[in-house]
Amino acid sequence: MQAKKESTAIYYLMILPGVGFIILFLGSSIFLTIAQSFGWFSVTGRSQFTLVNWKTLWERETLDSLVFSLKMGILSSIGTLIFAFPVALFLRKGGAGKRFLSSLIKIPLFIPALVAAFLILNLISYHGVVNEVLLALHIIKEPLRMLNDPFGWGVVAIQIWKNLPFVLLIVSASLASIRDDIIDAARNLGAGAFSILFRIYIPLAMPGILVSMILMFIKAFGDFPITSVAGPNYPPSIALRMRNTATLFQEWDKAAVMGVIIIGTTLVMTWLYSRLAQLVEGEKP
Amino acid sequence: MSRLVLRNLTKKFDGMAAVDHINLEVEEGEFVTLLGPSGCGKTTTLRTIAGFYIPDEGEVYFNDRLMNTVPPNKRNTAMCFQSYALFPHMNVWDNIAFGLKMRKVPEAEQKKRVQRALEMLSLTGFEKRKPGQLSGGQQQRVALARAIVTEPDILLFDEPLSNLDAKLRVQVRVEIREMQKRLGITSIYVTHDQDEALAISDRIVVMNQGHIEQVGDPHTIYLYPKTAFVAGFIGLANIFTGRVVGRSGDILEIEAPFGRVRMAASNSTVRAGDTVRFSFRPEDMILYREGMPNRLQGTILYAIFMGDSTDLFVDVKGQRLRARAGNAVKFNDGDSVEFSIEETAFRLLE
Repeated sequence: MQAKKESTAIYYLMILPGVGFIILFLGSSIFLTIAQSFGWFSVTGRSQFTLVNWKTLWERETLDSLVFSLKMGILSSIGTLIFAFPVALFLRKGGAGKRFLSSLIKIPLFIPALVAAFLILNLISYHGVVNEVLLALHIIKEPLRMLNDPFGWGVVAIQIWKNLPFVLLIVSASLASIRDDIIDAARNLGAGAFSILFRIYIPLAMPGILVSMILMFIKAFGDFPITSVAGPNYPPSIALRMRNTATLFQEWDKAAVMGVIIIGTTLVMTWLYSRLAQLVEGEKP
Repeated sequence: MSRLVLRNLTKKFDGMAAVDHINLEVEEGEFVTLLGPSGCGKTTTLRTIAGFYIPDEGEVYFNDRLMNTVPPNKRNTAMCFQSYALFPHMNVWDNIAFGLKMRKVPEAEQKKRVQRALEMLSLTGFEKRKPGQLSGGQQQRVALARAIVTEPDILLFDEPLSNLDAKLRVQVRVEIREMQKRLGITSIYVTHDQDEALAISDRIVVMNQGHIEQVGDPHTIYLYPKTAFVAGFIGLANIFTGRVVGRSGDILEIEAPFGRVRMAASNSTVRAGDTVRFSFRPEDMILYREGMPNRLQGTILYAIFMGDSTDLFVDVKGQRLRARAGNAVKFNDGDSVEFSIEETAFRLLE
């Protein structure tokens, strides 16, 4: 009995640094953000319950930023997956240049997001490489506005470039776990390339696909550096608006509301992922 | 159902021939086993028949149709894999129906055929389970159901029982044989297990280093091995080299390392002075009684009681022979024994 108590104590002691760190810095800051959004523990020293900060949720600017960030999150995650999946399939099957391609594609992983944004900026700016080449080839008559475009395609493009290796790593691991004999069995039973892709590869890699999409969504939805460099003049992303609200307008409690919105949206998306994963895996009898 | 013909079939990997100019004809409805040790080319042959490999030389015919470049999904074969290769994200019903869906069989017909396969393999009630929720034996039966439901021209088995425990292996191999006989589907079965091959096959193809050593029914393969490899691989055998010292009619007198023996060799052209390789089975060494031929005296090195029999390692003139005796007599290490071998029990090897 005594030995069991001791081992339990040792167990808790071992997990304390990791779990304690999370509770202290993440848990408490989330708690404070939520509390501040309702007027408690305000940075000004005031602490009184109020819903006035939440009025910002119905303000046109906040809604525009929220919609813009959702759009960036969804398009970036889908776009990255569309680019990553065929490469992951190629890497799974192997062939000439597999190692070279695998190394090449990981480069963006080591470049910070802000630097990545500036690198791509040179490519897609008004007088960037892409426009100059298109002009030289007489494909366009005047430069295209790809940077700071009102829709945010520039942001999506940079997000895809920056996060492709990240998504690729997850999707590749999912695809690599599919045994060759399962693919052989499908071929043997009459499945062609498309059937194998849609009935075997995609469903079996779905947990990895969903994980990569949700992580990608969270990154792009809460993005600050890429949108601030390549995003449209209006609306700013929700993270950018949060920063501006706090530091430019000194409305920290209102910024806390936006923080809660970002956390809430992330939680909703995670819940959606787990529901989707359950649907993919099916009900247990 | 198809007749299968392999003509000079060769498959190389990195310049090395895994299958080297093999020829084989399998009749419609026949159950043929490719038997051999690891790396003998049996699985490569099977995968070439399935279309996973394109032959480097030679031809594969289903009936009269050349199949060399026909992709696996266009050949009407069905394969049972060693690992079962069930689709883990699909339930039993969808696994079995997969091949039918790929062949665009009408929904009503699909239902009928899947239901029939479920009943045939005692899987009714398991339709909604995922493969991970089934035992090894049940998974193997699902793999079988998935294979037969498409009514393939040729059924291919790649060591399908090797992941099952010994008891289940015997049970499922009987089920496979019964099912194949009932449906009459041409079947090619790959195994390294000689007992399995002997129990299940119409004919056995013994392979070694990419070549076919011998083809024959189980009875012939076991009792009349042509080569030392076949004699040694199928069952236990005493294999020796000796010199022919005389021949009278069909009886050869041979000076062997363990003594002089007389053996019957009706279809052989060997003459006095020739050197020959020959084999005999442990069970052909029987305890000597007055008047029996080829009397050998030896000492028991080890006696291993097996329940239904006793395995004996016997020293005869410095040579180690294996013998098998019944369980009635108890043998001890160091006992002196006398054995006899019938003249007809010896096999001359190529």
